[in-house]
Amino acid sequence: MRKTKTKTVTSTTYLRPTDLNDLQQIMAEHQGRAAVVAGATDMIPQMRAGRTLPAVLVDLCEIAELSFIREEHGSIAIGATTTMAKLASSPIIASGSPFLATAARQVGHPQTRNRATIGGNLANASPSADTAPPLLALGAAVQIMSPDGAIRDVPLHQFFHSYRVTDLGEGDVLTRITFPRPPDGAAGRFTKIGLRSASSISVASVAVMLEMEETTCRTARVAAGSVAPIPMRVFRIEELLEGHEIGETLVEECSELLRAEISPISDVRGSDKYRSYVASAVLKRQIEMAVADRRTFGA
Amino acid sequence: MPENRTRPAYRIIGKAAPRPDAWAKVFGDTAYAHDYTVPGMLCAKVLRSRHPAARVLSIDTGDAEKLPGVDAVLTAKDVPNNETATRFGQTHQVGGFEGLYRVLAEKKIRFKGEAVALVAATSEAVAEEALGLIHVEYEPLEGVFDPVEAKQAGAYQVGEDESNVICSYKVRKGDVEEGFKLADVVVEQTYRVPMVDHAYLEPESGVAWLDQDGVITIRSATQVIEHFRGIADVLGVSHNRVRIIAPMLGGGFGGKEDITVETYLALLVWKTRKPVSLTYTREESIRSHGKRHPYVMRYKTGATKAGKLVALEAELTSDAGGYVYLSPWVLLYSTVGATGPYDIPHVKVDSETVLTNNTFSSANRGFGAPQVCFACESQLDELAKQLGLSPLEIRRKNYLRTGDALATGRVLEHSVETEQTADRALEALGEPSGPSSPTERIGRGIASSMTSYGRMTFLHDTSRALVSIEMDGSVSVRCGLQDVGGGQASSLAQIAAEVLGVPMEDVTVYVGDSALTPLAGTTTATRLLYMSGNATKKAATAVRHSLVKKAADLLDVDPEELAMGDRQIYSAGDPDRAVALERVVKACAADGIPLYDVAQFNAPARELIDFQTGQGQVFPDFTFGTQAMEVSVDIETGAVKVLKIVSCYDVGQAINTLSAEGQLHGGALYGLGYGMMEEVVLDKGNTLTPSFAEYLIPSAVDVPDVKTIMIESGGGVGPFGAKGLGEPSCVPAAAAFANAVSDAIGARVCDLPVTPERILKALGRF
Repeated sequence: MRKTKTKTVTSTTYLRPTDLNDLQQIMAEHQGRAAVVAGATDMIPQMRAGRTLPAVLVDLCEIAELSFIREEHGSIAIGATTTMAKLASSPIIASGSPFLATAARQVGHPQTRNRATIGGNLANASPSADTAPPLLALGAAVQIMSPDGAIRDVPLHQFFHSYRVTDLGEGDVLTRITFPRPPDGAAGRFTKIGLRSASSISVASVAVMLEMEETTCRTARVAAGSVAPIPMRVFRIEELLEGHEIGETLVEECSELLRAEISPISDVRGSDKYRSYVASAVLKRQIEMAVADRRTFGA
Repeated sequence: MPENRTRPAYRIIGKAAPRPDAWAKVFGDTAYAHDYTVPGMLCAKVLRSRHPAARVLSIDTGDAEKLPGVDAVLTAKDVPNNETATRFGQTHQVGGFEGLYRVLAEKKIRFKGEAVALVAATSEAVAEEALGLIHVEYEPLEGVFDPVEAKQAGAYQVGEDESNVICSYKVRKGDVEEGFKLADVVVEQTYRVPMVDHAYLEPESGVAWLDQDGVITIRSATQVIEHFRGIADVLGVSHNRVRIIAPMLGGGFGGKEDITVETYLALLVWKTRKPVSLTYTREESIRSHGKRHPYVMRYKTGATKAGKLVALEAELTSDAGGYVYLSPWVLLYSTVGATGPYDIPHVKVDSETVLTNNTFSSANRGFGAPQVCFACESQLDELAKQLGLSPLEIRRKNYLRTGDALATGRVLEHSVETEQTADRALEALGEPSGPSSPTERIGRGIASSMTSYGRMTFLHDTSRALVSIEMDGSVSVRCGLQDVGGGQASSLAQIAAEVLGVPMEDVTVYVGDSALTPLAGTTTATRLLYMSGNATKKAATAVRHSLVKKAADLLDVDPEELAMGDRQIYSAGDPDRAVALERVVKACAADGIPLYDVAQFNAPARELIDFQTGQGQVFPDFTFGTQAMEVSVDIETGAVKVLKIVSCYDVGQAINTLSAEGQLHGGALYGLGYGMMEEVVLDKGNTLTPSFAEYLIPSAVDVPDVKTIMIESGGGVGPFGAKGLGEPSCVPAAAAFANAVSDAIGARVCDLPVTPERILKALGRF
């Protein structure tokens, strides 16, 4: 006897499995017809607007083993249904990757953050997903469970394929996110540009993680959101920075390069030119601040 | 607390009086329109046009009617009088000046979201499903979406008339050509302001039923219960067969001035003979209901070296959207207000309002005033910059004062304290803040406004109130007002309590029933306190006279010597000589002396102004005020933080200081949203911002506390010298914000909202 709670709302069957075995069984059974949700903060508005009406909704929220934040073997692991509110207040995140907490704190409003999950933020694959740029900069990987029970890990920068298309195949479920705990000398920054101070969808966001040695950049990871069809890691800027002394010219070059690498659209929130300008301005500031911090606080 | 002039000692007027309706709201007990249910109630839904411009070729409702659970499907052919006008609460007919619209679409579709058919069914889900079964065949038409384009000869015709231009006005004073010759500096600019939504918490909603006598009774969220006449006319029944009850409103801001759900409910109740409810979704509200008019405004203003304004020329074009509604009236407000609170010898204003295939525009808090305030106040700052004067200096040299005439010839016979409001507002900003990062720039701006309160004098506005005193000395006020949340009912309790010498808790106010409370007119045009306050005061004073006369007999003193207070009538000179109010009431009753009075207050009545010159009186009086802001702008991202807001108004006389402060707070933020971020974006008539995910209003973290300053000149035409605050309090905020940003960055954004993108563009960043 399956423990899953079932409820039918109009033509949608709503399932709430309570453990991963149950989930796997459901996903195998409803392959191709099931949409996975956790907080459903994006799914419900989409359904209300009539843009989608899944035959089966599988809600992960009752699966206790999917909600956690823990350190394991030098890595930080986060369960897929961990809410934004929990990320924002987690001591592990605050000490290991505070800029991820910064991003989580800027998702929607308190009600949204109490429901929205990190797994949903990534699997939904919106270019404006707030947690994607910091996770890309942290070098995160996602764990995916197939309907046959197979588990695979995919680096986040390979997870996003194209606009709203991910590595998730039919029946796949994103179950957890892991990233190596950043070395002590590394500092991450996340900046979201929205059209108001709270509860807004970003027009551009940039995350940077730099490991500095005096004014020389040892390692660099750079990611941007809302400026391309997917949240993107900008490898060419990382190459430009790594192993180099960071000066005014290099910062300017990075900023120029970002504009060349991204492909923002114009929509109701802003024009492509605005997104492009503001993203590069933010990147410039983040790199400058990383260097300034080094000067102020020393190694 | 307000700054007091030497004023009469009131017991209750001018005090902070917590409102009787407050606790129910805090606890969630207030039954708003949607919270009301009637047994056996059907649920209604509206089918809306998928095209902004189209011809309706056919409508097939057969499949929808067959769906189990569907009680009625109505289209234009089911509406007895489908073409109607927004005309309410006025005693004077003013011809073709009134806002025509259709109840349900026929002939040409004029905007996307126009109502095409109505469904009433046993549940929302069935009603929703039935909408999908109504087959409408459209012939899409090209449409026109820009008002400037729409007024050109040969433009697509939105309606059946030959021109899209609904009406135009002129103001002519002096000779503007000569005026500009006297100017040492002339600035000229075109300003654009967007369509905005009211963004009330409560969407349009109501429940209706047939009562035992067959009267169609509608309990709906409205600012105007007197729509009962228009609804009866649509149905072809007599006016006394439709009754409207107004519950506490979850925000109106002008959006519930026009008819919303009422006619649809009445038609469905009439057809099904069953109770029906209808509440718009947020998306439906944003897409389909009236908005604030977008304007294109070309301004040219000239001043002498000394900073004296000599000439102003303005051309205003407003986008009315698909139907007329209140566009001509809104435009008239803009036309009269185009010159701001300034004395300018040579003025030429030309204005037009134009039909397009956009969502229709109509009343929105400020009613045409915020648009022109932004343009005019931007011009003042540009002139000041070129003349090397401060924004305050140039304004002080030009403010209208008591006794001066507007460009329309109207002499300001009542109190004008604009200069004082500007001085005080700027002073209250205090020491300038410092930037918190190297890329931040701090700026300050002020804007002043002159905004009317009371409806246009050619409408011959009236209001009534009934005040009665019960046998135990408690007081009842009956007034057909709509409480939009601004404390409308509570203010009347205060007025009656003041006049009749009882504490406020002894007064009960019955409001908002077109059949049972004396008709009081609309809660619009910042008229409620002015009109119904005066009517209540008049009625209460009549009751007081009867009581005092009787008390004088009982106490054997001259009535002139008597005062009322603490539920007593007593000799002012010898307070020990007193009689309990209850005893006086009983003595009056025994002698057959009426213990109630129904009073009518009439606003000054004038004829229409001269539309060729604009000369004449349009409004009873104006409220003057200034808002000041300090902002910080990040010149690399364009992000703005509002650091300080001060709102200073001459309120005449605050009736309830808490309610008055509430208006100043809410108004400043309502206006700030207009300046900072609000915009209904349309692409060829399609709304791209149909929910609060896209249509942004300021959140709690976007705004600082508003510092309020109230000056009490006592010079208003409302009760006890009060002026109106509801609309005036929101008018200058957008302009003050734009001026503050401009001060910070040294460049000007001429379009609202002043977004980070526009700021970066003005800085030449891309």
